[in-house]
Amino acid sequence: MYKLLLSWRYLKTRFIALASIVSVTLGVATLIVVNSVMAGFVDQMQSRLHGILSDVEVAAPLLGEITYPKEHVAVIRELLGDDVEELTCVVRNPALLSFEFHGRQWTQQVMLMGIDDETFGKVTDFEPYLTNELKRERFSFELEEKGYESKYQPSGWEYRRRVAENKKQLADLMQQHQNAYDVAAASYVDATESNGRVAKVDGPDGERKVQLRPLPAKVPKHSEAAQEGIESVHQATTIPNSLAAKSSEKAQKVSPFDPHAKLRPQVNPEDMFDARKDQYTGIILGQAISQRKTTDADGKIVDLYMVRPGDDVQIMFPSVGSRAQPVSDNCTVVDFYSSNMHEYDSTFAFMPLSALQDMRGMIDPLTGDGTVSTIQIKLKEGANLDAARDKLIARFPPSQYPYDIHTWQDTQRPLLSAVTMELTILNILLFLIIAVAGFGILATFFMIVVEKTRDIGILKALGAPSRGVMSIFLGYGVSLGMVGTGAGIVLGLIFIRYINNIADLVAFVTGQEVFDPMIYYFSEIPTIVSPLMVLLVAVGAIGIAVLASVLPALRAARLHPVEALRYE
Amino acid sequence: MSKLAVTPSAAKTDFDLSPGNRSKRRGANLKVARPTSMSVAGLYKSYRKGKLEVPVLKGVDLSVAEGSFTAIVGQSGSGKSTLLHLLGTLDAPDAGEIHYCDQRIDNLPSKQLEKLRNTQFGLIFQFYHLLPELTTLENVLIPRMVQDGFIQYLRNKKKYVQRATELLDLVGLTHRLTHKPSELSGGEMQRTAIARSLISNPSVLLADEPTGNLDAENGAEVMDTLHRLRDQENLTLIMVTHDNELANKADHVINLVNGVVAD
Ligand SMILES: Nc1ncnc2c1ncn2[C@@H]1O[C@H](COP(=O)(O)OP(=O)(O)OP(=O)(O)O)[C@@H](O)[C@H]1O
Ligand SMILES: [Mg+2]
Repeated sequence: MYKLLLSWRYLKTRFIALASIVSVTLGVATLIVVNSVMAGFVDQMQSRLHGILSDVEVAAPLLGEITYPKEHVAVIRELLGDDVEELTCVVRNPALLSFEFHGRQWTQQVMLMGIDDETFGKVTDFEPYLTNELKRERFSFELEEKGYESKYQPSGWEYRRRVAENKKQLADLMQQHQNAYDVAAASYVDATESNGRVAKVDGPDGERKVQLRPLPAKVPKHSEAAQEGIESVHQATTIPNSLAAKSSEKAQKVSPFDPHAKLRPQVNPEDMFDARKDQYTGIILGQAISQRKTTDADGKIVDLYMVRPGDDVQIMFPSVGSRAQPVSDNCTVVDFYSSNMHEYDSTFAFMPLSALQDMRGMIDPLTGDGTVSTIQIKLKEGANLDAARDKLIARFPPSQYPYDIHTWQDTQRPLLSAVTMELTILNILLFLIIAVAGFGILATFFMIVVEKTRDIGILKALGAPSRGVMSIFLGYGVSLGMVGTGAGIVLGLIFIRYINNIADLVAFVTGQEVFDPMIYYFSEIPTIVSPLMVLLVAVGAIGIAVLASVLPALRAARLHPVEALRYE
Repeated sequence: MSKLAVTPSAAKTDFDLSPGNRSKRRGANLKVARPTSMSVAGLYKSYRKGKLEVPVLKGVDLSVAEGSFTAIVGQSGSGKSTLLHLLGTLDAPDAGEIHYCDQRIDNLPSKQLEKLRNTQFGLIFQFYHLLPELTTLENVLIPRMVQDGFIQYLRNKKKYVQRATELLDLVGLTHRLTHKPSELSGGEMQRTAIARSLISNPSVLLADEPTGNLDAENGAEVMDTLHRLRDQENLTLIMVTHDNELANKADHVINLVNGVVAD
């Protein structure tokens, strides 16, 4: 009873001791905030890193092949047994991607992934990161009518049709223009022939007649055939109405100046590729591939997308085989992949497995089976990745198979371990803060014990046991530690709750973004408060407070009653 | 010294300090010749200050009968307080034996010493020694708090508070129950200390100049109270004093000179 009473009275009359506990409060709050933010960071990073990496991967060397993938899949399924959730085959090769933007051709390197649209999404976290909501629900390599995010607008079929329409009109216009020239030239030639006005040129085999192109006629304003985007061409190619009419009629016939016209096969217009209705092989680009971050006139950061869903791009890469040939083809961008992991978003492009196998010549013409470059495996929840990897390595030893078998963590090992180490060091440093606070408590408590020496003597003279006297000061330390830690937890949790508001406030006051979205790719600071972490921090802090009060309490317990009574 | 002979069973077992047992013993001996409450034989105590040794008590022998009033007198620095501390088991003698109720107490384990101090001895110090954080009432209650566990204390609290109020009434401090020691006069503090020394109904009261800071009237009143308690409850009184008048009222006067009892 007297222990509680005295602990409480000492607490009430000595606010200076509370000051020593403020450092515990701050230390605890900082530890909780830092750990929560780091946990949020790591969690986001891990899920992003894991993203399109499967749990375990059996990979052929770059540009190499795994032949007989079906047989491999069967072997792996048998080897790993029930641990396997799903398997998928992927062709992966570096490729060049080129596209047109503002009349210029842009080319850049990408990592092209040929994926199986059935199983790839089950093996990796691929689909949740697609930007089109329809694709997230039901995946395909078809361009969608709608569902694209507003920041990628205009995009989709609507956009594709408009662009194609403009291109078509432009092409038609060019054709008309060409025909008009042809007609004009023909009539000119007719005229000059009757006038005898023929240019005579000395050639190696003697005199030759050369038809002269007429100067473009000055023409009245053309009808509203052309639309936006082609004005410049339009101006240069205005055609007189009369001539235009004549040319269209004449264009049906074979142009007299096209020597190859007769050789051209007659194609049914229905079968011809029409960009307004048709798309090439679908390709999904990492959103950062065509993205440029720029600042607008107000200094705000804006995203500029040079390619959008609905645009056509060209890909080029070497075929397989001992004598690799460059192959290239058109693809239509059907969506973006946005995991917010810059490393992935700026390198990966996805297209259908079969199309890529076909282009690279990976399909055996006899059996129709294709080779692949990696087999990706998703294991059941809780399965041991490293064990599975080791089993696979034992089955496909490096001495016999040129495969690289690794888990996703192996791939990102340097980054993950760097983050883990960072967190460990931060925790050590912050715990040192609490330890420093512990020494503060130690000093304060020693002072109090010294000050209370006579009281201790009195208590002992009245029959209080040493243990009782000790527990007064231990209780004092524990309650101070608990008060400090409790306040720290509350402070830390409040800080986390409003961390984004605080970051905004700091940004407002300093004029500097705390987490520049241009660099960090998230608009909100991610936090995860783990109860276990809070508990550990609390136990640690209270433990330090107790430890710091043990020494003074022991000293108090050891005091000799008579000497303590004599103490002035 | 034959009285100090201890029965083997008593030596082995703990002190039987239950109040019932005590009163039985008192009742049995009240009308007969008084048995010895405390006795001391060949007590030596010296303080060491570095290499210098200061001998204070050099073989003190004394015997105090139950229910008697013994006054210890002597010059300042003669070792009166030291002797009282030794009697109260606050300190251990260098040599010699201290007996209480026929049992040697100077070499008991600390746990039993604590119990002894808490329940059998009432201590009044020369310099009051109150706890500054507690009120007068709480200071008086402290020995009871030390004695009981948490729950037990709460259960008995009413009884204890009543007793404490009675005692404070006895020393005339009912109007200062919630005052802190810093708000009391020296005499009031001394009276609080007296009330505290009596709260657990001790059988021996060891007082170091309890009336030193009181005026004659108050001092006499306190002494009256102590005498009354001695008569009513068979309280053994051992008191250090400078006051000759007081000493003259005592059954025994022990004069400490040069660390020994002078005749
Ligand atoms: N801790 C100590 N170290 C050294 N000497 C001490 C110590 N305590 C007491 N003494 C010495 O022992 C002697 C006796 O002290 P004590 O307090 O018993 O005297 P006293 O008779 O009570 O005196 P007073 O009447 O003034 O209270 C003194 O000379 C004192 O200097
Ligand atoms: Mg003295």
